[in-house]
Amino acid sequence: MKPIRILVIDDESVICDACELVLTEKGHRVDRCVTGRTGLHAIQQEEYEIILLDMKLPDIDGMEILQTVCRKTPVPRIIVMTGYSTMANAVQAMKLGAVDYLAKPFTEDELFSAIEKALARH
Amino acid sequence: MADSSEFERYFKVIRDIQRAVHTQTRVREVLDIVVTKSTEILNAKGALIRILNNDTNQFEVRAACGLGNRYLHKGPVTTEKLIADPSNLHTVIVITDIWNAPRVEYPQQVWDEGIRMLLDVPLAIEDQLVGLIRIYLENKREFADSELDFIVTVAEECAGIIERVRLLERQQANFTHLATHVDKMSSLGRMAAGVAHEINNPLAGILLYSSNMRKKVPPDGPLAQGLQIIINETQRCKTIIQGLLDFSRDTEPNKAAADINDIMVSALGIADNEFKLKHVHIDKQLSKTMIQTLLDKNQILQVFLNILLNALQAVEENGRITVRSKLDDKHKQVVVEVEDNGCGISPNDIPKIFDPFFSTKSNGTGLGLAVSYGIIKNHEGNIQAYSEVGKGTRFVVEVPVLTKSSPGEESYETHSHSCH
Repeated sequence: MKPIRILVIDDESVICDACELVLTEKGHRVDRCVTGRTGLHAIQQEEYEIILLDMKLPDIDGMEILQTVCRKTPVPRIIVMTGYSTMANAVQAMKLGAVDYLAKPFTEDELFSAIEKALARH
Repeated sequence: MADSSEFERYFKVIRDIQRAVHTQTRVREVLDIVVTKSTEILNAKGALIRILNNDTNQFEVRAACGLGNRYLHKGPVTTEKLIADPSNLHTVIVITDIWNAPRVEYPQQVWDEGIRMLLDVPLAIEDQLVGLIRIYLENKREFADSELDFIVTVAEECAGIIERVRLLERQQANFTHLATHVDKMSSLGRMAAGVAHEINNPLAGILLYSSNMRKKVPPDGPLAQGLQIIINETQRCKTIIQGLLDFSRDTEPNKAAADINDIMVSALGIADNEFKLKHVHIDKQLSKTMIQTLLDKNQILQVFLNILLNALQAVEENGRITVRSKLDDKHKQVVVEVEDNGCGISPNDIPKIFDPFFSTKSNGTGLGLAVSYGIIKNHEGNIQAYSEVGKGTRFVVEVPVLTKSSPGEESYETHSHSCH
């Protein structure tokens, strides 16, 4: 996989750390935000090939971020991460424009294949 | 013969009792009025009401007036001595020979109280003796038919009150049971959803790091082995939490018209291998006239699998599991039963089997039946277990027959995703 720019938005720093570790080892450049507000700001400032977005953030709801971000052109590829692994959540996130869905917890291989699949979509 | 003023007095007593019924909430207060008013109008020394306690099968004093404590403290009366003749259920029994009447259990005490005559009035509900009013008189005298009529009317009124109160008590007990159950289930559900989210986050950290490290250590070394265990166990936690979320989810089932027999056949097919391994015989008695009803196929399949796998674990090698289905036209529902000839469930455990985390298996999560319970309740149905230790268990699932999709029901398109 060629190196890409990835943004991780999750209020749990252990998840940011873990994603950063496994993705930088693959040669990707990773930025991280622990709030929805800083995440939105980062998305306005930079171009990311992939955004890993937690659905439950302390300040802004994940769904709201999805709605805002998907109005941007080109629409960034967003993979949603959530602890509530319900189908209804997944369907709703996809309807709002997410390209895929990761139910926490997931292995690094599951993360890699989700990213590859997302990149292959465009 | 009673004159009109006497009738008026009787009427007033009946009216007082009627009023008490409508204003008093407790049966005891009504019965107190009955004994006081009856004593007063019959010019008696006192009166007593005994009611049959169904648990002990004894007649216990519920209301009394005009009698000394020494007499009242004599124990309860047993049924046998009271039901001498069932044809007496609606007549007043007049006892004048206190010393030789078999119905009088403590003649000495009765005599000592200054009582010379007794009237026994049975309280009956549909030919079942539920109690007795006994009226104590200090002087022997004749009773006019109108007086006896009055007493019988009072007794019938009393029996009616007792019946109503019992019915109310039963309904209240059922309701309380249901309310506690519902409350327990919903608060657990809320807790489950919260816990699931809180635990999935740290698990995500563990699984990402461990799966990452697993690739960096020598593939056959002890570190790889240990990390693989961490990965497997973390994934096991994920499965348990998924079960919890399934249990707590209160989203409506995604219903479509389906034949419940087909779902059972799929479930039997999935479990087939397990049955064969244990040489368990499956006796399929599925209704030939089954109709389609609105069901969430996947959810019902999950329920059937849970019940079948429980049955499988309950039976010995070469055991037997019988699967039946029928259409219950009268109650407009479809009924599926799974019966095994396994070890059975102890009466102590039966009330707990649908509780989350209750399990008698060493490796069970205690969520299978709790999830099944939730699913069937979401289908507005019923799931119940009947069991006898050493003989087997029968699970009965009832689901109402529904033919039209209710408005607002939306079928979710299932998207494939890579997280599995």
